[in-house]
Amino acid sequence: MNRIRQSRAEVSQQPRSYPTDRGIGPIGYQSKVRVIDKYKVVGFISSGTYGRVYKALGRQGQTGEFAIKKFKPDKEGEQVTYTGISQSAIREMALCSELNHHNVIKLIEIILEDKCIFMVFEYAEHDLLQIIHHHTQQPRHPIPPSTIKSIMFQLLNGCQYLHTNWVLHRDLKPANIMVTSGGEVKIGDLGLARLFNKPLHSLFSGDKVVVTIWYRAPELLLGSRHYTPAIDMWAVGCIFAELLSLRPIFKGEEAKMDSKKTVPFQRNQMQKIVDIMGLPTKERWPLLPHMPEFSHLSSLNAPLSHGHHYHHQGQRQVGGSHLEKWYYNTIGQNAGGSGAASGAAALASLGAEGYKLLAGLLEYDPEKRLTAAAALQHPFFNTGDKVSANCFEGLKMEYPHRRVSQDDNDIRTSSLPGTKRSGLPDDSIVRPNKRVKEG
Amino acid sequence: MAASFWDSTQRRHWLYTREELAAIRYKLEEEDPTSLTHTFPLPDLRHLNIYFNQQMQRLGKRLSVRQQALATAQVYIKRFWTRVEMRRTNPYLVMATAVYLACKMEECPHHIRIVAQEARLMWPGEVQAMDTSKLGECEFFLISEMQSQLIVHQPYRTLKALESDFSLSPDESMFAWNLINDHYQTDLPLLCPPHIIALTAVMLALVLRPAPGERPSSSSINTSSLAAAAATVQQAQARAAALSASSSSSTGLGSIPGTHGLTPQSSLLSESSSEGKKVPDAARLSKVQFFAAWLAESTIDIEAMVDCTQELISFYEAWDNYNEKFTKESISRYIKARGLV
Repeated sequence: MNRIRQSRAEVSQQPRSYPTDRGIGPIGYQSKVRVIDKYKVVGFISSGTYGRVYKALGRQGQTGEFAIKKFKPDKEGEQVTYTGISQSAIREMALCSELNHHNVIKLIEIILEDKCIFMVFEYAEHDLLQIIHHHTQQPRHPIPPSTIKSIMFQLLNGCQYLHTNWVLHRDLKPANIMVTSGGEVKIGDLGLARLFNKPLHSLFSGDKVVVTIWYRAPELLLGSRHYTPAIDMWAVGCIFAELLSLRPIFKGEEAKMDSKKTVPFQRNQMQKIVDIMGLPTKERWPLLPHMPEFSHLSSLNAPLSHGHHYHHQGQRQVGGSHLEKWYYNTIGQNAGGSGAASGAAALASLGAEGYKLLAGLLEYDPEKRLTAAAALQHPFFNTGDKVSANCFEGLKMEYPHRRVSQDDNDIRTSSLPGTKRSGLPDDSIVRPNKRVKEG
Repeated sequence: MAASFWDSTQRRHWLYTREELAAIRYKLEEEDPTSLTHTFPLPDLRHLNIYFNQQMQRLGKRLSVRQQALATAQVYIKRFWTRVEMRRTNPYLVMATAVYLACKMEECPHHIRIVAQEARLMWPGEVQAMDTSKLGECEFFLISEMQSQLIVHQPYRTLKALESDFSLSPDESMFAWNLINDHYQTDLPLLCPPHIIALTAVMLALVLRPAPGERPSSSSINTSSLAAAAATVQQAQARAAALSASSSSSTGLGSIPGTHGLTPQSSLLSESSSEGKKVPDAARLSKVQFFAAWLAESTIDIEAMVDCTQELISFYEAWDNYNEKFTKESISRYIKARGLV
């Protein structure tokens, strides 16, 4: 009886009487921290299927600059109700909260506010896509070898950290490799990353497509369901090649999913790989015949064998690799079509070890492919100049800064023009190549 | 980090001493400006935990959720209620949300609509307004209070890794597994690193010689089991002392000298046989000795294992006076009074 009286009293005094109650129940969730109170947005950086990224400064005495990633709400425009956070966002939030390494982009905090997710990261002034792009500007000139070496070492270091912690990045590409103004390389965008130590479901289920096609490992193109760190290492090999030649080494065209939602064989991409690497053989890749899409290989063209004189060490195989030729062509006459001889031999100092590292990363058999740990021990990093922790060390020039636009500075309300809502909330999202236009 | 418990947010932010945990809870209760906590006393926390566990198992069954995800969900609610006083929340909504979130984290996702629907069917009187939006909002609340630290290291993995090292029989494995399942009904996930829990479970399974299909209960896990466990630990400690005294070089885990130096006359044997069960065979004895030797040569916090055993004993004791109806009603009282339904 006493209790009844008391509880009545509670009910009558209860509504809105708790200033600190951000509770569920009668009063809705409210963030303790408001993004606009804490950060001053100074510009818009980029957008993708995941949402948008803004550049910001701290308002409360935080030092440095920040990149705030605002996840795209499921529905366009004003978010009226909560719909549940996508699994990939949950993964990214959870993984980034655990990761702590100087070659992986650092998460500062996550703010959940107004039905939106804001992930606040340390800001990086550059990324590899931007740096590569800068060198393609006339006159086309190669990235200095010491910079390439430092970038590769730091990239591999970050990969090794991820892999020893059972994290697969799954979307390594130049646009996702950040570089700070101090020349520190930071692996970014863990939007597709996953833990591979305890997959309750096969890592294959759920995600139909992983890794931007140009950087996609041959075993994925051939339908492998076994995801391993080797997938990231192939992408690292592709990035290495791109740092050398300033263009994607295997620039295929993606075959789109048909209406039945079956994943097509990526013939064009596989052909691009075969053009340089030769056809894979079961002698070098014993599990090759077990690949689900193995039968498609026979329909590909073996590369033209115009590389005889590069195989002077004998053991020339049918459908052999042209990678060695590609490498020496690239480091020898990087000036490319411009005809300028200025760049010629600029990369020659990377030498034979550079080729061996590249070949080790672009190894067809994922089991034989270099691991991040093994690659870090590669003689490439012990020969020639000492590897610097600052990839810009000794450079006389400065790379252009990241462009931030002022068109859309309102982090809170902006809708996302041009981004379609995907049919499925989660993993089936196919990521387009995020190419930020410069200049 | 994700693989290394040592660097994980779990170790850095979500493990407490008993005293810290008590202080946190006291502070939460005192912070309530309405002194609601005093108006609506709750039963023994262990009883609440048993109730929550049962409810989550039921929801899990309806959704065919794997044990691993349910375990993670149970850790989530414990963490959450160290940040928010339970009586300011609707536990049914929190449980459903924890299950929904844990399923995503453990790679066995369920659609939010399905989770909300099942929760509504299961708890019609307790959560009338359970819909997608409510669940989604609570998800924000949960993640925010947990600071997005959602990766939970579980003892199951350690157990799996060690099963064969310690030659656990299927019955022993199952017993240890069930012990781990049960520990989610205690504060242990907030007190102990997962490997301590796994090793305690292994130790109890070895020492208590479970009958086929036997589940842990107050009749198996009690003060005499503590004595047996303590004997094992003593053995281990004595051995460790002997090892350091003779300053023999540490051999590491790879080369354990097995039963060398341990005799069948150890206190362990007498403890076990005094329980009136069958006399342990030589194989079992050597298994226990092997375990003790392994412990002695490891850097495992043996005191923590003793504490962990103690906590399990008091849990199984508390289970004996558990009253579901009473527990359920005390929750219903406050959620109705506060309009949280």
